[in-house]
Amino acid sequence: MFGKNEIYKIDFVLVTAVILLVFIGILTIYSSGFDPIDKVNSGLYKKQLIWFIAGFAIMVALTVINYQFLGDYSLHIYGFLMFLLVITVIFGTPIRNTKAWLNFGLFSIQPSEFMKLALVIVLAKYLEIRERDIMHLRELLIPALLTALPMLIILLQPDFGTAVVFVPILFTMLFIGGADISHLLSIVAIAAIAIVVPMVITYREWVGAVGTNFLLDFFKETRLILIVASITLFVAVTTFILHFFLVGKWYRRVYIPSTVLSLGLFFSIIIQKYFKLYQKRRILVFLNPELDPHGSGYNVIQSKIAVGAGQFLGKGFLKGSQSQLGFLPEKSSDFVFSVFAEEWGFVGSIILLALLGIVIYRGIQIAIESKDKFGALLAGGIVTIFFFHLLINIGMVIGIMPVTGLPLPFISYGGSNLLMSLMAIGILISVRMRKFVY
Amino acid sequence: MFILLGIVSLCFIIIFFQLVNVQLLRGEEFARKSRQNMENNIPIPAARGELYDRNFDPNKKNVVIVSNRPSFNITTVPASFRDNVKMEETVRLVCKLLKISGDDVLNDIKGRNPWERVVIKEDVPFDAIVSIATHQDKFPFIDWEDSSVRVYNHANMFAHVVGYIGVISKEEYAQLKHQGYRQYQRVGKSGIESQYDRVLRGRDGYIRRIVDVRNRVEGEEVGLEPQAGNNLVLTIDYGIQQAAYEAMENYMGAALVIKAATGEVLAMVSRPDFDPNTIIARNNLGIIQQLLNDPNKPFVNRAIQSRFPPASTFKIITAIAALEEERWNPVTTLFCGGTFTLRGFVDTVFFDYRAHGSLNLYWAIARSCSVYFYQLGLRIGPTVIFSYATHFGFDQRTGIDLPGEITGFVPSKRWKLRVFGQSWYDGDTVNLSIGQGFISVTPIEMANVIAGIVNNGIVYTPHMVREVRSPDNRTVIQTFPPRRQREVPISPSTLSIIREGMRLAVTSGTCSQLASLPVPIAGKTGTAQTRSNRYEEASQHGWFIGYAPYDGPPDRTVIVVVFVEYGRGGAAAAVPVAYRIFSKMVQLGYF
Repeated sequence: MFGKNEIYKIDFVLVTAVILLVFIGILTIYSSGFDPIDKVNSGLYKKQLIWFIAGFAIMVALTVINYQFLGDYSLHIYGFLMFLLVITVIFGTPIRNTKAWLNFGLFSIQPSEFMKLALVIVLAKYLEIRERDIMHLRELLIPALLTALPMLIILLQPDFGTAVVFVPILFTMLFIGGADISHLLSIVAIAAIAIVVPMVITYREWVGAVGTNFLLDFFKETRLILIVASITLFVAVTTFILHFFLVGKWYRRVYIPSTVLSLGLFFSIIIQKYFKLYQKRRILVFLNPELDPHGSGYNVIQSKIAVGAGQFLGKGFLKGSQSQLGFLPEKSSDFVFSVFAEEWGFVGSIILLALLGIVIYRGIQIAIESKDKFGALLAGGIVTIFFFHLLINIGMVIGIMPVTGLPLPFISYGGSNLLMSLMAIGILISVRMRKFVY
Repeated sequence: MFILLGIVSLCFIIIFFQLVNVQLLRGEEFARKSRQNMENNIPIPAARGELYDRNFDPNKKNVVIVSNRPSFNITTVPASFRDNVKMEETVRLVCKLLKISGDDVLNDIKGRNPWERVVIKEDVPFDAIVSIATHQDKFPFIDWEDSSVRVYNHANMFAHVVGYIGVISKEEYAQLKHQGYRQYQRVGKSGIESQYDRVLRGRDGYIRRIVDVRNRVEGEEVGLEPQAGNNLVLTIDYGIQQAAYEAMENYMGAALVIKAATGEVLAMVSRPDFDPNTIIARNNLGIIQQLLNDPNKPFVNRAIQSRFPPASTFKIITAIAALEEERWNPVTTLFCGGTFTLRGFVDTVFFDYRAHGSLNLYWAIARSCSVYFYQLGLRIGPTVIFSYATHFGFDQRTGIDLPGEITGFVPSKRWKLRVFGQSWYDGDTVNLSIGQGFISVTPIEMANVIAGIVNNGIVYTPHMVREVRSPDNRTVIQTFPPRRQREVPISPSTLSIIREGMRLAVTSGTCSQLASLPVPIAGKTGTAQTRSNRYEEASQHGWFIGYAPYDGPPDRTVIVVVFVEYGRGGAAAAVPVAYRIFSKMVQLGYF
């Protein structure tokens, strides 16, 4: 499987970037675990190092295995991880009220991390098989179910952030798999309308802005929304029926947007009416933490201070006051980027961002160059995992994304995520190595 | 695929620009915020200025009226303990050592942020600190800090003059926070301490501590050295103050000694009094409450904060008004048969304390003949008397540099009509001419009357502080030249007539007790009839106003005002007090 010549087909740029990232991560975890008053270290960095060694071995193993093999066993892998997820949610050890970890004594793992990869594999396989029929709307049902099932269980843990990751994975892979873009856009549009409308209402009532904007005040009356939704639904149904009897292409341009609008509005009424006020407010705070400066807002404020205080060259290793003196929360996992940015400044942040950019870029390149659909889908899904984590995590830390507990790949402390990321890299390399084999 | 690449690139660019924004453009701002997070400034209190008497000499041992004593506070941070049980145990143990109630301290702790420093006890004796320091194992997390305590060395004697300090109240803080006052500071509450607070307080320094999110200390440095407050040299002469204070021992009332040519207050005594040292003690609520509830109102500085009818001392005003406005001839005699009958619809009889026979103005002042002044008052009319009372400033504050001064009261025809619905009767004029009835004055306003007489009408604002000195006393920062307060329009001939009458009162009149002193004194007594439920037997206020030497130059002249509230025998009580004050001044070489 793995001849002498194949060694040179390994993407050394990618591997080097990954190794550098992991070492930056371990260094930052060392710094964030350091207590400048008692002069002791929490020692998390050692654990991360052990996870890296184990993960590197698995990565090498996955490089050696042909990725097609994963496709053959995709349902087994998916099924096994579903089983683990169910077990976790029933028997898992609750940490901070979340049952996300399976404890094995010496170490514990987080099945939901590996589920991300399993979903990518199973979706890749499915979409490869169904490549020709995927233009049909009904073909989207199975991928949606495959995604919704683990999401549901993860929401039960409850781990909102991790569950959210599955949505972009599904959409990106459907997109790569050749699904009709108008279908995808319609679904996104319906969801967006369903969430945005009640959020606007709740927000304006919360901050007392009602009565300041005629257009936005329109949303306040549920009945008005209901009327608009009904009218658009009527238009949609009529044009849909008409297009069976009359010839013409323009019907599609009417009934698709009007269906989207009416469905979105109906769903938004459901959210507005049946979600409790505190639930809607929680979503609002999730979208804009500044609304709750003592709760989740505190973390973002402190994290922005840390990142900003790093300025151009940073405060230096072990010298970041925000992290060293504990003003930063979750500093070795979710907010690890702030620790790094405070100590290494703009220069360090850009280097870190560039290394992550190399990984993403290489991943996309591998997807493009892949010799088969399955490989392209695998690589695309993996890149989506990395990119979405990166975007949400760094975006949150610098205050342009909602606060969600998503780790920064390769950097954040966390064995499962590191292991999963390294496995994903292994798969990527495997795909690239075999693009030359016909 | 290339669409995805585009989206990814766009996101990277957004992140890049946000990093530029946060780290480069707003970097300074966030760096400052991160410093604010970790720096915790612990104040180092500045030493408050000391107060000396007027004879201060930097090269000698001086009378120190108010000073500071170094002391220690025992403090702790409740959250530093492992758990509440351990914390309560330790606090109780410390309280037992300090002999205070552990429950009180624990209740105090409960209502606070556990990361805040709590003062368990202020002003702890040194041996307690030693025993805590040597048994650190028994008293973990129990700390101590320097904290000087204000000492009022002569306790009650200067109570009303220097006042006292206290914890800054919410209302005061709201007003003073823009002037650099901090909530933990103490502030002068009355007297000199309040009036000159800004001079005395100095500027607190601070220790800059680097703390972590749980307030644990990582390192510290002196951020700002404290700057001690300036010292004050008062105009008060300790010897005279002591004499006046002791002379007033069995009385309620006030005694004032003022230098006529400058307005410097040499002594100011108000009885009853209090001990400022007990007011500033920590558990003082009981004492303060007791003082507040005292019907004799010990907190009131009677010299400037209470008004009484001036009684016969007011005859001087009536006399001046008559001499100035009516060209009254001082040698004109009027007859006094002991009573005066005001003819009217119903005749009213006004009494004198005895029959004086025929006498002129000099003797009428010297003997304090009321019947003479009844007739004089009726002749010149109330309006003229009002206007001279106003010239002497009975309806205005003297502007002394002490807080809370009140004014006397000068009635008027219009006032009487408004308040009583009656017009001004001749009977009112009769009463007014001997200082009874509606008119009232504060003792310090009465001192100003003498100042006007001695200084040919010029009155200087009374003041308490001679100079402000630097904390090491080497340099004089500020002096207080005499400030002209008013000029009473009186001719020199009138003044010499009044002075002669007052001199006659000492040589052979109502205050002849003072004649035996080796300095020529001039004076006037007054006995005010009052009604009081509480003091039925002795319901007479006694006044003495006077000065010495009688014919000396104004710049050596000293004014003495004694007011005895509800004293037995009225003026008979006030004159002996004045005697003791004058004889002390003779002894001190003032004349």
